[in-house]
Amino acid sequence: MSDYRRTRPAALNFEDLLRPQVEYLYRLAWRFTGSVADAEDLVQDVLIKLFPRTRELLDIQQLRPWLARVLYRQYIDSVRQRARSPIVELVSDAEGEDNPLDALPATKDGPEENAERSGQRERILRALDRLNPEQRAVVAMHDVEGYSLEELEKMLETPLGTLKSRLHRARQRLRALLPMEPFSSGERVKG
Amino acid sequence: MECRDFVLQLDDLLDGGLDAARQKPVQEHLGRCPDCRSRHEHALAVREAVRKLSPPAMHPGFIDQTLARATRAVGSPNPRWRRPVLGMAVAATLVLGVALGVFLATRPQVQTVALTIDRPETVRLMFNSAKPLKAATLSLALPENVELVGYDGRRELSWQTDLREGGNLMQLPLVVRGATKKELVASLSHGGSSKTFRLKIEVDGAGRSGM
Repeated sequence: MSDYRRTRPAALNFEDLLRPQVEYLYRLAWRFTGSVADAEDLVQDVLIKLFPRTRELLDIQQLRPWLARVLYRQYIDSVRQRARSPIVELVSDAEGEDNPLDALPATKDGPEENAERSGQRERILRALDRLNPEQRAVVAMHDVEGYSLEELEKMLETPLGTLKSRLHRARQRLRALLPMEPFSSGERVKG
Repeated sequence: MECRDFVLQLDDLLDGGLDAARQKPVQEHLGRCPDCRSRHEHALAVREAVRKLSPPAMHPGFIDQTLARATRAVGSPNPRWRRPVLGMAVAATLVLGVALGVFLATRPQVQTVALTIDRPETVRLMFNSAKPLKAATLSLALPENVELVGYDGRRELSWQTDLREGGNLMQLPLVVRGATKKELVASLSHGGSSKTFRLKIEVDGAGRSGM
């Protein structure tokens, strides 16, 4: 770490390091969660955890995969935490007309995103929602972001065989959930 | 090579992980088996479709806000205050100093949560707002024998917050000390409009405690 960096306020160093990574983290978080709100929450949680470790961050050579690992762990933790903490939707006493506090349809994203989710996109998102969190993460990091399974073995500290198994099951499930026709002009798979 | 052998190699084929010795029989099988060709095309097409999914845009200002919140959160009583509404998070941290959660939602059915005596549990509440609201006032009234963790004895809490359009999530760490007959009441008001939400709390183990 340079003397310049060492003497700067941590907040400035943190911003220099993380600002260029937030969009990447958000993208990956969205692929994990499938929800803008959840992805933003996840990124926020990660950044809050990381700020006290700014000095450590300054010494990391390959920040992006390191951050991806932190994000993954936070994601799995949050999924487990949510599983222990059921959601309660409160009941309004009175439904007033034109009241901005009235409920919107239950959607994960805003109307714009919702409208965008049509046809194939919506079907793919629904299929991804059917994967378990670990399967979804390995698809996001391997099939989409392009990390090799060997890289993920180190990043996620997960045995290669486990990763291969997760990926195999995830792909198999996606193929089962997404029929052939919209994706290719080839023949339907038998059986 | 049989079809079942091909299926076992499909992941490695997709990942370019077949060495020359394994590649040859796989390609030969693909050349003569229309089912496995179709299987391979399907796998490629599904993977490509997933790759092409692009995330919706982040909310405007998210990068600035999230960095600012991260660098401000150090030393706050509970840094897990989250997105639901940035203003809500800050205000509630200042006023309550604990993680407090509310989902803004209205659904035409009564909601009930079961809690165990003396065991702190996080109740996650969801509200929806039809549009972004600045400086809405959120008030909580806790029934007897229900406490917000860290605020023993406080029955009423209130703070101002900003709501974003759509779902707003908060977490409410509650602990029950005994049986309670009344409901938790959350009121949200903004510009002359208001909503009141009620949550019935059932207490597990109330009989055992003798209350």
